[in-house]
Amino acid sequence: MPTVVSSTTIIGLEVHVELATRRKMFSAAPSPAHREFAEAPPNTLLDPVVLGLPGALPVMNRAAVEMAMLVGLALGGKVAPVTRWDRKNYFYPDMPKAYQISQYDQPLCVGGLVEVPAADAKGFPDLDAPATRVRIVRAHLEEDAGKLLHEAPGGGVMEGSILDLNRAGAALLEIVTEPDFRSAEQVVLFAKLLRATCRFLGVTEGVMQQGHVRFEPNINCELTLDDGRTVRTPIVEVKNLNSFKAVRGAIEHEAREQPRRWMDDGRVMGPGTKTTRGWDDARAVTFIQRGKEDAHDYRYFPDPDLPPLTIDDAWREKVAARLGELPLDRLRRYVTRSGLPTKEAFALIEERDTCLFYEAVAAGLIALGMEEGRAGKVAANWVLGACAARANERGAQPHEVGIKPTTLAALGKLREDGRLNNQGTETLFARLCDAPTQAAPATDALAAVEHLAGELGVLVVRDDAAMAAWVREVLDANPKVVEDVRGGKAAAVGRLVGEVMKRAGGKADAKAVREALLAAIGIREPS
Amino acid sequence: MTESARVIAADVTARRRSAVEIARATLAAIDTRNPTLNAFVETFSERTLAAAEIIDRRIAAGESLPLAGVPVALKDNLCLGPDLSTPGDGLGFGGRTTCASRILEHYRSPYTATAVQRLIDAGAVIVGKTNLDEFGMGSSTERSIFGPTRNPHDPTRVAGGSSGGSAAAVAAGLVPLALGSDTGGSIRQPASHCGVVGLKPTYGRVSRFGLVAYASSLDQIGPLAANVADAALALDVLVAHDPLDATSSTRVAPRWGTELNSPAAPRRVGIPRQARGPGVHPGVAATLERALERFRAVGAAIVEIDLPLTDHAIAAYYIIATAEASSNLARFDGVRYGRRAALAEGESLLDLYCRSRGEGFGDEVKRRILLGTHVLSAGYYDAYYATAQKVRRRVHDDYARAFMDCGVILSPAAPAPAFRLGEKTADPLAMYLEDVFTVGVNLAGLPAAVVPAGVVQAGGASLPVGVQLIAPAFEETRLLAAAATLEQALAA
Repeated sequence: MPTVVSSTTIIGLEVHVELATRRKMFSAAPSPAHREFAEAPPNTLLDPVVLGLPGALPVMNRAAVEMAMLVGLALGGKVAPVTRWDRKNYFYPDMPKAYQISQYDQPLCVGGLVEVPAADAKGFPDLDAPATRVRIVRAHLEEDAGKLLHEAPGGGVMEGSILDLNRAGAALLEIVTEPDFRSAEQVVLFAKLLRATCRFLGVTEGVMQQGHVRFEPNINCELTLDDGRTVRTPIVEVKNLNSFKAVRGAIEHEAREQPRRWMDDGRVMGPGTKTTRGWDDARAVTFIQRGKEDAHDYRYFPDPDLPPLTIDDAWREKVAARLGELPLDRLRRYVTRSGLPTKEAFALIEERDTCLFYEAVAAGLIALGMEEGRAGKVAANWVLGACAARANERGAQPHEVGIKPTTLAALGKLREDGRLNNQGTETLFARLCDAPTQAAPATDALAAVEHLAGELGVLVVRDDAAMAAWVREVLDANPKVVEDVRGGKAAAVGRLVGEVMKRAGGKADAKAVREALLAAIGIREPS
Repeated sequence: MTESARVIAADVTARRRSAVEIARATLAAIDTRNPTLNAFVETFSERTLAAAEIIDRRIAAGESLPLAGVPVALKDNLCLGPDLSTPGDGLGFGGRTTCASRILEHYRSPYTATAVQRLIDAGAVIVGKTNLDEFGMGSSTERSIFGPTRNPHDPTRVAGGSSGGSAAAVAAGLVPLALGSDTGGSIRQPASHCGVVGLKPTYGRVSRFGLVAYASSLDQIGPLAANVADAALALDVLVAHDPLDATSSTRVAPRWGTELNSPAAPRRVGIPRQARGPGVHPGVAATLERALERFRAVGAAIVEIDLPLTDHAIAAYYIIATAEASSNLARFDGVRYGRRAALAEGESLLDLYCRSRGEGFGDEVKRRILLGTHVLSAGYYDAYYATAQKVRRRVHDDYARAFMDCGVILSPAAPAPAFRLGEKTADPLAMYLEDVFTVGVNLAGLPAAVVPAGVVQAGGASLPVGVQLIAPAFEETRLLAAAATLEQALAA
């Protein structure tokens, strides 16, 4: 019996994205994947089509098709000029028609390629390491099933099962990759970027806990044996993972278990050897759901209720025009041009509106004369700092705190130029959030914020003579502290700064005061 | 003699008669005749009268309704909801929609089919639901949980099917107008056997929303009437684009009902070589020749055409229709609605499906589900379903080629007059051959009409025989003109 020398994990991914359309894929019933209906009580988002009542007919939702086109194009794929709807036949109580309308051999989007950056130790993109090229096989539309509950709501034993058909018929986008991944980290980063991209494109709410994005990795291993041969283990598909942790766990578990299974049973990849497993989150293991002997014959055939869909150039181009710069490209730009840490850049691309707000702030700063790289950095500090903190307190998003982007740029510029101190900046920021100004070009916003700062008396006073006098006074009055500073206790200078600020009535810039004090003491801080 | 829908609508509109008195007479006639015929499976006495009363009020208020007070029967595979009888009245028929199947024996639809709603909105008074072969699968209206419908011309014979109840109801003079559905000839063959006009519109002309699907790519709702003009009037009301049916056509419909006063005779009538084949009953053949003669007499040229795939069409039809049916009928699993079988202790979900379906479906339905499941199975799809779709394409092309030579095609509707009850129930293949002249039209999606064209003596009975006219897709205008021409020529 040969033994395993090394093992390479090979992973392909299927992703289901629940599209945030107002209505379901083939009916006018509201979709639970839309924000407005997310809290609907069980079995209230129904109509004859969803219930599969006799005589009811499906009608395609164009909004879902456009969302799917957006994602397909964002992944570098082609939109098929003609696409078709097929029936996938199988019995299940949560699928009222006993068939699912899906796309079999003529999917909406074909092909594609994503350059997935390497992941750093914390799972954020590392743009300096080599990227993984992940080929996309296809992206197609289908309808979701309902939910079958075998436990009483809230847990506990229940006689029989209960069925909630709210989700039945919701628009679902399935994306399939080639088996181009070699590690759980790569898969997880791709998954995160895909979710961010879909959220950025506005095609899904992307709430993982609600199953808006579900992952199904296909995993097997290439084993190198001590006799020089290589063998491939049978493919395992792990169903319905709805957290990144589960994706990572399931892949790592299979990567460990498959070589062991091979040593037990010697089974290798081949037709009919694929098995389906589930993921036990509590025990962090996969478990068998369906062996090859239970393989379904879905009897796909073209759905006679739905004509094939033709997508002409005009329609495709209209949708493509909505793409804009993709989030991963923006992330790369923030990191390379503004030197943002990838963690911050990632946070900025997660929500489209926040990202666009950030870019508007940065543009405002540039319009006010700030260098591009610096503007990106300053804007990020504002959006992920003060705005995020305030948003967090209010259960909102950073772009929703009230202040207009050009106004924020003006505020940032005044602070950057030392015209405001910390305290004045905070006062002004709160004021501009509570009583937002009109949206205005950055130069007008600057004038307005300056005026308001003047009114509030928070502008830094730049009186060099007075400053010199206060510095002298304070140094004379605190010889002991001055000694400490000279002796190397640089931090002690803070007390002196406070004394000067007191004399200045709070209207001096602390940074400038500190510099003046250190200069007078005769210490030059490395800048 | 069946009264004309146009005469009734005109009388009600002019208030010479009330919708209520017509409805009352209709219900009384059904009570008298239906025990023999078994054409109706349900009538809505009080609710029908209440709906008729509302029509009278709307007429009194000056409304103009093309089908004012016209009693209409619906094949029982058309959904009729609880509170949609007439706009704004809140009254409900709330009848069952059974498809003559045990599995939907007690099923009540919460909504109304688009085609039915259009009739109601036009002033029609729904009097009841008519018998059919279970889910439309049959050619004799014998395979029904309600028992067979009998032919008004000879109660020992079938009415044809699957819209046999609707055809018999019109033929017996119980209603002037009824809706049927036609998947492979289910309007036309019973129309021929009962001696009424049956019209199968172009696929996509009439919304299928609310028609319980048998074979979705072939099903089409159409009227059965006592004469061509009434069928045309009904078509005017039925045809409109329906956003609830993705296969519903957006083409603007002409006003057929008003264009038939002096129909233009077709210039060239095609007769398929296959229509004169050996399998055709001599009485049917003679009727066909007489109809040709009448066309010739009004100046039409008769040209022989070739529909070489006539025999293959029936094989293709039974593959495509059963494939679609196997999928369409999968939803009847006893879980959400319909009949659920009682389970014994320890039986599983699979048992629930198997028992509910085993008890709920009749033999012919089971046969077609099995056949359809088989032809879609892995390894058989290409040999059966894919091949049948190729045949379908060629059938379509054959008709297109034929219509380069002629304006309309004339053919038998069925190979023989109505057969005796029970004569073909043991022989499914013989029953399937009833559709040999009609299924090609469904495969090609064409409009076709059956017009009563003669009476044949058979087994001591005088039986009506119709002929079928076929036109290119969306050429109902041409079809109805040819049908009206023939109707007039035969009456002269």
